[in-house]
Amino acid sequence: MFTLRRWWDRHRLQATLIGLAVGSALFLRQTEGAVLYEAYQILVRPFQPNLERKTVLANAQNQELQQRLTELESQNQQLRALLGYMGETKKPGITAPIVGRSADHWWQHVLMGRGSRDGVQEGYVVMAPGGVVGRVINVTPSTSRVLLLSDPSSRVGVTVSRSRFMGYIRGQSSNRAVMEFFDKVPDVRQGDVITTSSLSQLFPAGLPVGRVESINMSKSPAPEAVIELTAPVSFLEWAIIYPHTQPKSGEAKN
Amino acid sequence: MKNESLTAVLQERPLTRVVANCAVTAGSVLLCLLISPSRLPGMELAGIGPNWLLIWVVSWSVKRTAFQGALAGLILGLIQDGMTAYSPTHVLSLMLVGILTARLRKERYLKEDFISIALIVFAMAVIAETVTAIQYSFQGDRTLVEIWTYHQLIALGSAVLSSLWAPIVYYPLNRWWQHIQTIEQQS
Repeated sequence: MFTLRRWWDRHRLQATLIGLAVGSALFLRQTEGAVLYEAYQILVRPFQPNLERKTVLANAQNQELQQRLTELESQNQQLRALLGYMGETKKPGITAPIVGRSADHWWQHVLMGRGSRDGVQEGYVVMAPGGVVGRVINVTPSTSRVLLLSDPSSRVGVTVSRSRFMGYIRGQSSNRAVMEFFDKVPDVRQGDVITTSSLSQLFPAGLPVGRVESINMSKSPAPEAVIELTAPVSFLEWAIIYPHTQPKSGEAKN
Repeated sequence: MKNESLTAVLQERPLTRVVANCAVTAGSVLLCLLISPSRLPGMELAGIGPNWLLIWVVSWSVKRTAFQGALAGLILGLIQDGMTAYSPTHVLSLMLVGILTARLRKERYLKEDFISIALIVFAMAVIAETVTAIQYSFQGDRTLVEIWTYHQLIALGSAVLSSLWAPIVYYPLNRWWQHIQTIEQQS
Protein backbone atom coordinates (compact mmCIF):
# COMPACT_ATOMS: atom_id res chain seq x y z
CA MET A 1 0.00 0.00 0.00
CA PHE A 2 2.79 2.32 0.94
CA THR A 3 4.79 1.57 -2.19
CA LEU A 4 1.68 2.10 -4.26
CA ARG A 5 1.15 5.42 -2.61
CA ARG A 6 4.76 6.48 -3.13
CA TRP A 7 4.56 5.44 -6.76
CA TRP A 8 1.40 7.48 -7.14
CA ASP A 9 3.00 10.52 -5.54
CA ARG A 10 5.93 10.34 -7.89
CA HIS A 11 4.10 9.48 -11.09
CA ARG A 12 0.78 11.20 -10.47
CA LEU A 13 1.15 13.64 -13.34
CA GLN A 14 2.41 11.10 -15.82
CA ALA A 15 -0.26 8.58 -14.96
CA THR A 16 -3.00 11.19 -15.30
CA LEU A 17 -1.69 12.36 -18.65
CA ILE A 18 -1.36 8.82 -19.97
CA GLY A 19 -4.87 8.02 -18.79
CA LEU A 20 -6.18 11.13 -20.46
CA ALA A 21 -4.41 10.36 -23.73
CA VAL A 22 -5.52 6.72 -23.85
CA GLY A 23 -9.05 7.74 -22.88
CA SER A 24 -9.37 10.29 -25.64
CA ALA A 25 -7.84 7.89 -28.14
CA LEU A 26 -10.45 5.27 -27.21
CA PHE A 27 -13.18 7.87 -27.48
CA LEU A 28 -12.01 8.85 -30.97
CA ARG A 29 -11.89 5.19 -31.95
CA GLN A 30 -15.40 4.45 -30.72
CA THR A 31 -16.84 7.53 -32.44
CA GLU A 32 -14.92 6.60 -35.61
CA GLY A 33 -13.07 9.90 -35.56
CA ALA A 34 -16.25 11.95 -36.04
CA VAL A 35 -14.76 14.93 -34.19
CA LEU A 36 -11.66 14.81 -36.37
CA TYR A 37 -13.60 14.66 -39.60
CA GLU A 38 -15.80 17.55 -38.47
CA ALA A 39 -12.71 19.61 -37.65
CA TYR A 40 -11.19 18.66 -40.99
CA GLN A 41 -14.32 19.78 -42.80
CA ILE A 42 -14.26 23.16 -41.02
CA LEU A 43 -10.60 23.59 -41.97
CA VAL A 44 -10.93 22.74 -45.63
CA ARG A 45 -14.24 24.50 -46.22
CA PRO A 46 -12.59 27.62 -47.76
CA PHE A 47 -10.72 25.45 -50.26
CA GLN A 48 -13.68 23.45 -51.48
CA PRO A 49 -14.63 23.76 -55.15
CA ASN A 50 -17.53 26.04 -55.94
CA LEU A 51 -20.43 23.78 -56.79
CA GLU A 52 -22.23 26.50 -58.75
CA ARG A 53 -19.48 26.45 -61.38
CA LYS A 54 -19.22 22.72 -61.82
CA THR A 55 -16.28 22.08 -64.05
CA VAL A 56 -17.81 19.01 -65.57
CA LEU A 57 -15.37 16.41 -66.77
CA ALA A 58 -16.84 16.42 -70.24
CA ASN A 59 -15.21 13.27 -71.46
CA ALA A 60 -16.22 11.16 -68.49
CA GLN A 61 -19.78 12.40 -68.65
CA ASN A 62 -19.95 11.58 -72.31
CA GLN A 63 -18.86 8.04 -71.54
CA GLU A 64 -21.44 7.76 -68.83
CA LEU A 65 -24.19 8.80 -71.22
CA GLN A 66 -23.03 6.25 -73.76
CA GLN A 67 -23.04 3.53 -71.14
CA ARG A 68 -26.47 4.52 -69.92
CA LEU A 69 -27.70 4.35 -73.49
CA THR A 70 -26.33 0.85 -73.97
CA GLU A 71 -27.88 -0.20 -70.70
CA LEU A 72 -31.24 1.31 -71.56
CA GLU A 73 -31.28 -0.25 -74.99
CA SER A 74 -30.71 -3.72 -73.71
CA GLN A 75 -33.07 -3.21 -70.80
CA ASN A 76 -35.68 -1.99 -73.21
CA GLN A 77 -35.46 -5.17 -75.23
CA GLN A 78 -35.99 -7.22 -72.12
CA LEU A 79 -38.93 -5.13 -71.05
CA ARG A 80 -40.66 -5.54 -74.34
CA ALA A 81 -40.53 -9.25 -73.82
CA LEU A 82 -41.59 -8.96 -70.23
CA LEU A 83 -44.40 -6.34 -70.35
CA GLY A 84 -45.91 -5.13 -67.13
CA TYR A 85 -42.66 -3.99 -65.58
CA MET A 86 -42.99 -1.06 -63.21
CA GLY A 87 -40.14 1.43 -63.44
CA GLU A 88 -38.64 3.08 -60.40
CA THR A 89 -38.83 6.81 -60.14
CA LYS A 90 -35.49 8.49 -59.57
CA LYS A 91 -35.13 10.50 -56.40
CA PRO A 92 -33.22 13.79 -56.37
CA GLY A 93 -29.61 13.56 -55.24
CA ILE A 94 -27.42 15.63 -52.93
CA THR A 95 -24.45 17.22 -54.66
CA ALA A 96 -21.38 17.17 -52.45
CA PRO A 97 -17.72 18.16 -52.85
CA ILE A 98 -15.00 15.58 -52.27
CA VAL A 99 -12.86 17.01 -49.51
CA GLY A 100 -10.47 14.24 -48.57
CA ARG A 101 -9.16 10.75 -49.12
CA SER A 102 -8.74 7.82 -46.76
CA ALA A 103 -6.39 8.29 -43.81
CA ASP A 104 -4.48 5.15 -44.76
CA HIS A 105 -3.55 3.62 -48.09
CA TRP A 106 -4.93 0.16 -47.49
CA TRP A 107 -8.44 1.54 -47.64
CA GLN A 108 -10.02 3.26 -50.61
CA HIS A 109 -12.27 5.87 -49.05
CA VAL A 110 -13.19 9.40 -49.97
CA LEU A 111 -14.55 12.03 -47.65
CA MET A 112 -17.51 14.10 -48.88
CA GLY A 113 -18.41 17.52 -47.55
CA ARG A 114 -22.09 16.77 -46.79
CA GLY A 115 -23.38 14.81 -43.85
CA SER A 116 -26.44 13.93 -41.82
CA ARG A 117 -27.34 17.63 -41.58
CA ASP A 118 -27.98 17.56 -45.34
CA GLY A 119 -29.88 14.31 -45.17
CA VAL A 120 -27.14 11.84 -46.04
CA GLN A 121 -27.47 8.42 -44.45
CA GLU A 122 -25.39 5.29 -44.34
CA GLY A 123 -25.88 3.05 -47.34
CA TYR A 124 -26.62 5.89 -49.77
CA VAL A 125 -25.14 5.49 -53.23
CA VAL A 126 -22.56 7.91 -54.61
CA MET A 127 -22.47 8.69 -58.33
CA ALA A 128 -20.04 10.85 -60.25
CA PRO A 129 -19.67 11.85 -63.86
CA GLY A 130 -18.76 8.46 -65.30
CA GLY A 131 -20.80 6.14 -63.13
CA VAL A 132 -21.01 4.64 -59.65
CA VAL A 133 -18.26 5.61 -57.24
CA GLY A 134 -19.21 3.81 -54.04
CA ARG A 135 -21.51 3.96 -51.07
CA VAL A 136 -21.65 5.88 -47.83
CA ILE A 137 -20.38 3.86 -44.86
CA ASN A 138 -20.11 6.50 -42.15
CA VAL A 139 -21.84 9.83 -41.56
CA THR A 140 -21.00 12.74 -39.27
CA PRO A 141 -23.09 15.96 -39.12
CA SER A 142 -21.25 17.57 -42.02
CA THR A 143 -19.10 14.89 -43.63
CA SER A 144 -19.66 11.41 -44.94
CA ARG A 145 -17.17 8.68 -45.68
CA VAL A 146 -17.57 6.71 -48.90
CA LEU A 147 -16.26 3.20 -49.52
CA LEU A 148 -15.13 3.21 -53.15
CA LEU A 149 -15.82 0.43 -55.61
CA SER A 150 -12.06 0.11 -56.02
CA ASP A 151 -11.64 -0.99 -52.38
CA PRO A 152 -10.85 -4.71 -52.22
CA SER A 153 -13.46 -5.18 -49.50
CA SER A 154 -16.30 -3.76 -51.57
CA ARG A 155 -18.11 -6.40 -53.56
CA VAL A 156 -20.92 -5.54 -55.90
CA GLY A 157 -23.15 -7.69 -58.05
CA VAL A 158 -22.84 -6.59 -61.67
CA THR A 159 -24.05 -7.67 -65.06
CA VAL A 160 -22.73 -7.41 -68.61
CA SER A 161 -25.07 -4.89 -70.14
CA ARG A 162 -25.15 -6.49 -73.59
CA SER A 163 -25.59 -10.15 -72.80
CA ARG A 164 -26.98 -9.95 -69.19
CA PHE A 165 -24.42 -12.40 -67.83
CA MET A 166 -23.97 -11.84 -64.12
CA GLY A 167 -21.08 -11.82 -61.74
CA TYR A 168 -19.60 -9.69 -59.01
CA ILE A 169 -16.71 -7.26 -58.91
CA ARG A 170 -13.94 -6.94 -56.39
CA GLY A 171 -11.94 -3.70 -56.21
CA GLN A 172 -8.28 -3.65 -57.07
CA SER A 173 -7.08 -0.51 -55.33
CA SER A 174 -6.73 1.79 -58.32
CA ASN A 175 -9.38 2.43 -60.94
CA ARG A 176 -9.57 -1.26 -61.75
CA ALA A 177 -11.80 -4.04 -60.50
CA VAL A 178 -11.93 -7.76 -61.17
CA MET A 179 -15.23 -9.26 -62.25
CA GLU A 180 -15.89 -12.89 -61.45
CA PHE A 181 -18.64 -14.52 -63.50
CA PHE A 182 -21.19 -16.92 -62.13
CA ASP A 183 -21.26 -18.86 -65.42
CA LYS A 184 -18.53 -21.06 -66.82
CA VAL A 185 -18.74 -19.67 -70.36
CA PRO A 186 -20.06 -16.11 -70.24
CA ASP A 187 -20.69 -14.11 -73.39
CA VAL A 188 -18.43 -11.13 -72.79
CA ARG A 189 -16.16 -9.12 -75.04
CA GLN A 190 -13.56 -6.45 -74.55
CA GLY A 191 -15.22 -3.04 -74.27
CA ASP A 192 -18.54 -4.38 -72.98
CA VAL A 193 -20.32 -2.09 -70.56
CA ILE A 194 -20.75 -3.35 -66.99
CA THR A 195 -23.67 -2.17 -64.86
CA THR A 196 -24.91 -3.01 -61.38
CA SER A 197 -27.17 -6.03 -61.44
CA SER A 198 -30.60 -6.52 -59.98
CA LEU A 199 -29.11 -9.05 -57.57
CA SER A 200 -27.05 -6.36 -55.88
CA GLN A 201 -28.63 -5.21 -52.66
CA LEU A 202 -26.18 -2.44 -51.94
CA PHE A 203 -26.80 -0.61 -55.20
CA PRO A 204 -29.87 -0.03 -57.34
CA ALA A 205 -29.82 -2.01 -60.57
CA GLY A 206 -28.67 -0.60 -63.89
CA LEU A 207 -26.09 1.98 -62.83
CA PRO A 208 -23.02 2.19 -65.08
CA VAL A 209 -19.87 0.87 -63.43
CA GLY A 210 -17.20 0.49 -66.10
CA ARG A 211 -16.12 -1.37 -69.19
CA VAL A 212 -14.30 -4.63 -69.78
CA GLU A 213 -10.59 -4.18 -70.32
CA SER A 214 -9.39 -7.77 -70.60
CA ILE A 215 -10.82 -11.24 -70.11
CA ASN A 216 -9.28 -14.38 -68.68
CA MET A 217 -11.50 -17.31 -69.62
CA SER A 218 -9.16 -20.00 -68.33
CA LYS A 219 -9.30 -18.76 -64.76
CA SER A 220 -10.52 -21.30 -62.22
CA PRO A 221 -13.10 -21.70 -60.67
CA ALA A 222 -14.86 -19.06 -62.76
CA PRO A 223 -13.73 -16.84 -65.63
CA GLU A 224 -12.55 -13.36 -64.69
CA ALA A 225 -12.51 -10.02 -66.44
CA VAL A 226 -10.63 -6.87 -65.54
CA ILE A 227 -12.98 -3.90 -65.44
CA GLU A 228 -11.89 -0.31 -65.88
CA LEU A 229 -14.07 1.85 -63.66
CA THR A 230 -15.31 4.82 -65.66
CA ALA A 231 -15.67 7.35 -62.86
CA PRO A 232 -12.25 9.07 -62.58
CA VAL A 233 -12.08 8.79 -58.80
CA SER A 234 -8.51 9.99 -58.42
CA PHE A 235 -9.26 13.51 -59.62
CA LEU A 236 -12.93 13.93 -58.85
CA GLU A 237 -13.93 17.19 -57.21
CA TRP A 238 -17.57 16.52 -56.55
CA ALA A 239 -20.10 13.71 -56.68
CA ILE A 240 -23.81 13.20 -56.17
CA ILE A 241 -25.23 11.17 -53.30
CA TYR A 242 -28.49 9.35 -54.09
CA PRO A 243 -30.79 7.92 -51.43
CA HIS A 244 -30.95 4.16 -51.44
CA THR A 245 -32.46 1.93 -48.84
CA GLN A 246 -31.10 -1.54 -48.93
CA PRO A 247 -32.83 -4.65 -47.70
CA LYS A 248 -31.31 -5.92 -44.48
CA SER A 249 -28.51 -8.36 -45.10
CA GLY A 250 -25.42 -9.44 -43.26
CA GLU A 251 -23.18 -9.87 -46.29
CA ALA A 252 -20.82 -7.48 -48.01
CA LYS A 253 -20.39 -5.26 -45.00
CA ASN A 254 -17.07 -3.63 -44.48
CA MET B 1 13.17 39.33 -26.23
CA LYS B 2 9.79 37.73 -26.32
CA ASN B 3 11.40 34.35 -26.48
CA GLU B 4 13.36 35.04 -23.33
CA SER B 5 10.31 36.14 -21.39
CA LEU B 6 8.50 33.00 -22.53
CA THR B 7 11.42 30.91 -21.31
CA ALA B 8 11.34 32.75 -18.00
CA VAL B 9 7.63 32.09 -17.57
CA LEU B 10 8.13 28.42 -18.42
CA GLN B 11 11.01 28.24 -15.99
CA GLU B 12 9.17 29.79 -13.08
CA ARG B 13 5.90 27.96 -13.37
CA PRO B 14 6.13 24.19 -13.64
CA LEU B 15 2.37 23.87 -14.14
CA THR B 16 2.36 26.25 -17.10
CA ARG B 17 5.26 24.30 -18.49
CA VAL B 18 3.39 21.01 -18.31
CA VAL B 19 0.26 22.53 -19.82
CA ALA B 20 2.23 24.18 -22.64
CA ASN B 21 4.11 20.98 -23.33
CA CYS B 22 0.89 18.94 -23.44
CA ALA B 23 -0.77 21.53 -25.66
CA VAL B 24 2.08 21.53 -28.17
CA THR B 25 2.27 17.73 -28.18
CA ALA B 26 -1.49 17.22 -28.53
CA GLY B 27 -1.67 20.02 -31.09
CA SER B 28 0.99 18.41 -33.25
CA VAL B 29 -0.87 15.07 -33.09
CA LEU B 30 -4.07 16.84 -34.10
CA LEU B 31 -2.31 18.51 -37.04
CA CYS B 32 -0.96 15.15 -38.20
CA LEU B 33 -4.44 13.62 -37.90
CA LEU B 34 -6.12 16.44 -39.81
CA ILE B 35 -3.59 16.41 -42.60
CA SER B 36 -3.81 12.66 -43.21
CA PRO B 37 -7.10 12.66 -45.21
CA SER B 38 -5.86 15.48 -47.45
CA ARG B 39 -3.73 14.97 -50.52
CA LEU B 40 -2.04 18.28 -51.16
CA PRO B 41 -0.21 18.73 -54.44
CA GLY B 42 3.37 17.52 -54.10
CA MET B 43 2.48 15.19 -51.26
CA GLU B 44 1.11 12.47 -53.47
CA LEU B 45 2.74 9.67 -55.42
CA ALA B 46 0.37 7.40 -57.35
CA GLY B 47 -2.43 8.29 -54.95
CA ILE B 48 -0.29 7.55 -51.91
CA GLY B 49 0.58 10.23 -49.40
CA PRO B 50 3.01 10.34 -46.47
CA ASN B 51 2.06 8.44 -43.33
CA TRP B 52 1.92 11.40 -40.93
CA LEU B 53 1.08 9.42 -37.82
CA LEU B 54 4.06 7.17 -38.37
CA ILE B 55 6.32 10.21 -38.73
CA TRP B 56 4.94 11.53 -35.45
CA VAL B 57 5.47 8.25 -33.62
CA VAL B 58 9.06 8.09 -34.86
CA SER B 59 9.75 11.71 -33.86
CA TRP B 60 8.32 11.01 -30.42
CA SER B 61 10.15 7.75 -29.83
CA VAL B 62 13.60 8.74 -31.06
CA LYS B 63 14.72 10.08 -27.69
CA ARG B 64 12.39 8.20 -25.39
CA THR B 65 12.04 4.79 -23.81
CA ALA B 66 10.48 1.80 -25.52
CA PHE B 67 7.49 2.00 -23.15
CA GLN B 68 6.77 5.59 -24.12
CA GLY B 69 7.15 4.70 -27.78
CA ALA B 70 4.71 1.82 -27.43
CA LEU B 71 2.24 4.06 -25.62
CA ALA B 72 2.34 6.64 -28.40
CA GLY B 73 1.86 3.86 -30.93
CA LEU B 74 -1.14 2.53 -28.98
CA ILE B 75 -2.84 5.93 -28.74
CA LEU B 76 -2.31 6.98 -32.36
CA GLY B 77 -3.14 3.47 -33.54
CA LEU B 78 -6.50 3.57 -31.76
CA ILE B 79 -7.32 6.94 -33.29
CA GLN B 80 -6.33 5.84 -36.78
CA ASP B 81 -8.46 2.71 -36.39
CA GLY B 82 -11.39 4.99 -35.72
CA MET B 83 -10.63 7.02 -38.82
CA THR B 84 -10.41 4.01 -41.15
CA ALA B 85 -11.57 0.59 -39.99
CA TYR B 86 -11.06 -1.57 -36.91
CA SER B 87 -9.47 -4.50 -38.62
CA PRO B 88 -6.66 -4.88 -39.46
CA THR B 89 -5.63 -2.66 -36.60
CA HIS B 90 -3.00 0.06 -36.74
CA VAL B 91 -2.20 -0.40 -33.07
CA LEU B 92 0.18 -3.30 -33.74
CA SER B 93 2.18 -1.61 -36.48
CA LEU B 94 2.50 1.77 -34.75
CA MET B 95 3.40 0.19 -31.39
CA LEU B 96 6.10 -1.88 -33.08
CA VAL B 97 7.41 1.27 -34.77
CA GLY B 98 7.51 3.09 -31.44
CA ILE B 99 9.34 0.29 -29.66
CA LEU B 100 11.83 -0.31 -32.46
CA THR B 101 12.63 3.38 -32.86
CA ALA B 102 13.22 3.77 -29.14
CA ARG B 103 15.38 0.65 -28.95
CA LEU B 104 17.50 1.62 -31.95
CA ARG B 105 21.10 2.23 -30.87
CA LYS B 106 21.19 5.61 -32.54
CA GLU B 107 24.26 6.89 -30.77
CA ARG B 108 26.25 4.04 -32.19
CA TYR B 109 24.99 3.77 -35.73
CA LEU B 110 23.33 7.03 -36.63
CA LYS B 111 24.01 10.64 -35.97
CA GLU B 112 21.30 13.03 -34.96
CA ASP B 113 20.35 14.80 -38.17
CA PHE B 114 17.80 14.98 -40.98
CA ILE B 115 19.32 12.17 -42.95
CA SER B 116 19.21 9.65 -40.12
CA ILE B 117 15.62 10.61 -39.24
CA ALA B 118 14.65 10.16 -42.88
CA LEU B 119 16.36 6.77 -42.87
CA ILE B 120 14.61 5.63 -39.70
CA VAL B 121 11.22 6.77 -41.04
CA PHE B 122 11.88 4.98 -44.33
CA ALA B 123 12.65 1.69 -42.59
CA MET B 124 9.76 2.06 -40.12
CA ALA B 125 7.24 2.80 -42.89
CA VAL B 126 8.25 -0.40 -44.66
CA ILE B 127 7.95 -2.34 -41.37
CA ALA B 128 4.55 -0.84 -40.55
CA GLU B 129 3.07 -1.63 -43.96
CA THR B 130 4.49 -5.15 -43.73
CA VAL B 131 2.76 -5.68 -40.38
CA THR B 132 -0.54 -4.56 -41.94
CA ALA B 133 0.01 -6.84 -44.92
CA ILE B 134 0.68 -9.79 -42.61
CA GLN B 135 -2.56 -9.06 -40.75
CA TYR B 136 -4.41 -9.04 -44.06
CA SER B 137 -2.82 -12.36 -44.99
CA PHE B 138 -4.22 -13.91 -41.80
CA GLN B 139 -7.61 -12.36 -42.35
CA GLY B 140 -7.95 -14.14 -45.65
CA ASP B 141 -10.54 -12.03 -47.47
CA ARG B 142 -8.02 -11.07 -50.16
CA THR B 143 -5.69 -13.32 -52.09
CA LEU B 144 -2.07 -13.36 -51.03
CA VAL B 145 -0.87 -12.27 -54.47
CA GLU B 146 -3.11 -9.22 -54.34
CA ILE B 147 -2.02 -8.27 -50.84
CA TRP B 148 1.70 -8.54 -51.48
CA THR B 149 1.68 -6.82 -54.87
CA TYR B 150 -0.22 -3.96 -53.30
CA HIS B 151 2.09 -4.05 -50.30
CA GLN B 152 5.09 -3.39 -52.56
CA LEU B 153 3.44 -0.31 -54.03
CA ILE B 154 2.26 1.10 -50.69
CA ALA B 155 5.38 0.28 -48.70
CA LEU B 156 7.67 1.92 -51.20
CA GLY B 157 5.45 4.92 -51.94
CA SER B 158 4.64 5.69 -48.34
CA ALA B 159 8.24 5.09 -47.22
CA VAL B 160 9.69 7.48 -49.80
CA LEU B 161 7.15 10.22 -49.14
CA SER B 162 7.15 9.84 -45.37
CA SER B 163 10.93 10.01 -45.17
CA LEU B 164 10.96 13.11 -47.35
CA TRP B 165 8.38 14.91 -45.22
CA ALA B 166 9.62 13.62 -41.86
CA PRO B 167 11.88 16.62 -41.03
CA ILE B 168 8.85 18.95 -41.18
CA VAL B 169 7.33 17.17 -38.19
CA TYR B 170 10.54 16.11 -36.49
CA TYR B 171 12.54 19.34 -36.50
CA PRO B 172 10.13 21.77 -34.74
CA LEU B 173 8.84 19.12 -32.34
CA ASN B 174 12.31 18.02 -31.38
CA ARG B 175 13.41 21.62 -30.88
CA TRP B 176 10.48 22.19 -28.55
CA TRP B 177 11.01 19.05 -26.49
CA GLN B 178 14.71 19.80 -26.17
CA HIS B 179 13.88 23.34 -25.07
CA ILE B 180 11.50 22.07 -22.40
CA GLN B 181 14.07 19.57 -21.21
CA THR B 182 16.81 22.17 -20.79
CA ILE B 183 14.42 24.39 -18.84
CA GLU B 184 13.46 21.48 -16.62
CA GLN B 185 17.07 20.75 -15.89
CA GLN B 186 17.81 24.38 -15.09
CA SER B 187 14.96 24.83 -12.68
